[in-house]
Amino acid sequence: MIIRGKVLRVLPDDTNTDEIISGKYKYDVLDIGKLAVHTFEAIDPSFYKDAKKNPGSILVAGKNFGCGSSREQAPRVLRECDISCIVAESFARIFYRNSFNVGLPIVECKGILAHVDKEDELEIDLDGGKIRNITKGYELSFKPIPDFMQNLLQAGGIMSYLRKSGGYE
Amino acid sequence: MGKTMAEKILSRKCGRDVEPGELVVCEVDMTFAHDGTMPLAIQQMKNELGTTKVFDSCKVAGFCDHASPSPSSHISNVHTMMREFARENCIDFYENGDGICHQIVLERYAAPYKVIVGADSHTCTHGAVGAFATGMGSTDVGAIMVYGKTWFKVPESMKIEVDGELGEWVTSKDLFLSVVGDIKADGATYMSMEFVGKCIDDMEVEQRATLTNMAIEAGAKLGLCKADDKVKEFLREYGRGDEFEELYPDDDAEYLSEIFIDAQDIEPMIAYPHRVDNVAPAYEFKGMHIDQVCIGSCTNGRLSDLEIAAQILDGEEVCKDTRLVVYPASRSVFIKAVERGIIEKLLEAGAAVCAPGCGFCIGRTVALGDGEKALSTQNRNFKGRMGNENAEIYLSSVPTAAASALYGEIVDPREVL
Repeated sequence: MIIRGKVLRVLPDDTNTDEIISGKYKYDVLDIGKLAVHTFEAIDPSFYKDAKKNPGSILVAGKNFGCGSSREQAPRVLRECDISCIVAESFARIFYRNSFNVGLPIVECKGILAHVDKEDELEIDLDGGKIRNITKGYELSFKPIPDFMQNLLQAGGIMSYLRKSGGYE
Repeated sequence: MGKTMAEKILSRKCGRDVEPGELVVCEVDMTFAHDGTMPLAIQQMKNELGTTKVFDSCKVAGFCDHASPSPSSHISNVHTMMREFARENCIDFYENGDGICHQIVLERYAAPYKVIVGADSHTCTHGAVGAFATGMGSTDVGAIMVYGKTWFKVPESMKIEVDGELGEWVTSKDLFLSVVGDIKADGATYMSMEFVGKCIDDMEVEQRATLTNMAIEAGAKLGLCKADDKVKEFLREYGRGDEFEELYPDDDAEYLSEIFIDAQDIEPMIAYPHRVDNVAPAYEFKGMHIDQVCIGSCTNGRLSDLEIAAQILDGEEVCKDTRLVVYPASRSVFIKAVERGIIEKLLEAGAAVCAPGCGFCIGRTVALGDGEKALSTQNRNFKGRMGNENAEIYLSSVPTAAASALYGEIVDPREVL
């Protein structure tokens, strides 16, 4: 899978899921479309509008992106904001798992922060493990995503994977 | 090659020796979700798998704890939907006021060698009794509720060996805050944090559960302590002595990293806004006014926590400019605290004692005002966590919180008690 898009935001280390979507909303709203309006609201109020104006954008982040609460609403609202991929120095475990489960491609790439600025255009080759910064003419490699996780993404998430394969056997 | 505790549990579950880094599929002994995560899990089961039937009604539970008692009609409707699902499936269901999922799972379900998956990040708490317990998202838990299985990456392990004794008014909370201050919020990402050493051996399960509860704050998948005589005692107390079995790491187990700590070096600590790994000794905050002190949560709302708070507040009054809010972690904790006169002492000191649940921790039923500062015994101080992004959250142990409530400002309990 190849993903091409512009970098909408460059986010710092340890961006937590409370920041992505505040706990004060998640209990009231089961409709992800309505919930997504509040994405990054407390720290970046224009995020939702900017993301919707630029569908297919990429987020770049520092270490430990998505730490904290297990709330799956976090990757779901980002997908709902039409984010096509998140590239981070590293991800928190539950967020990493949740993203594949909901079909949001994410890539762990050491050194990405030093080579990307907001609005750079990136081309991400998920199978080949390469990120090309088209704007800066720079290429970075990452450890390819394990086969099982690739299968989850191709199926569109864990539920459709299980539905198609009839379970774990 | 020897095994860590995490490797021992997964090896037995898989019926063969497993190694860190491997992906394995194995059966789950117990799974649960709460009002913040269960509705989405049910929705996923229904919409994606076309079923609302769980694989085994004895191995699934639901909890109304995060927004409980329900503060709004929306949430009441969410609770109704969960209640119907529970009734149809004959699963254990815990109502408004029964308590926090992690406390109830510890009391009623968790045991050595069990694999437990909860739709909540603090599910790692149950490693305090030797369970392989970890948090996942709603969809993962929805899939487990249908298939009774899930996939795991066998984690690498980090050994945290703590020897010596903690000083007076210093607790396992201070110990964990010191550790996360050193290794930072991603220091144990994807690992099993295994706590060993004389200091841990001396701790009761309730204090160990504070350590394992917070393992996720360092990014860990699991927090594990040995299943020893203290665990046997704990399970017996809750009528589950027969579920006990010993669990120890092998002497020659291999760890990705090892940390050695002398408990005597640990001081009362504070995590300051807006990160759990922003940590400094309590005395550095001396004199800082606090608007609200919160005692409770899945980290520090157990009987021994309330007991120590009552001991500090007994016969005293909370400072006039500071509010004290107390949430016992479960109904059973609440009842025992009433029987032992703990609640009476807290009430007389000026505390608002509320129905068991998550309460203040996520700002659903108690929220902070603009510009306010809270000192809480919970596990997270993220911006906006307590219902207001214009407020500041400081984290501490119970003794530091209770002593600070008396003075209306942060104090080092060793200096004033």
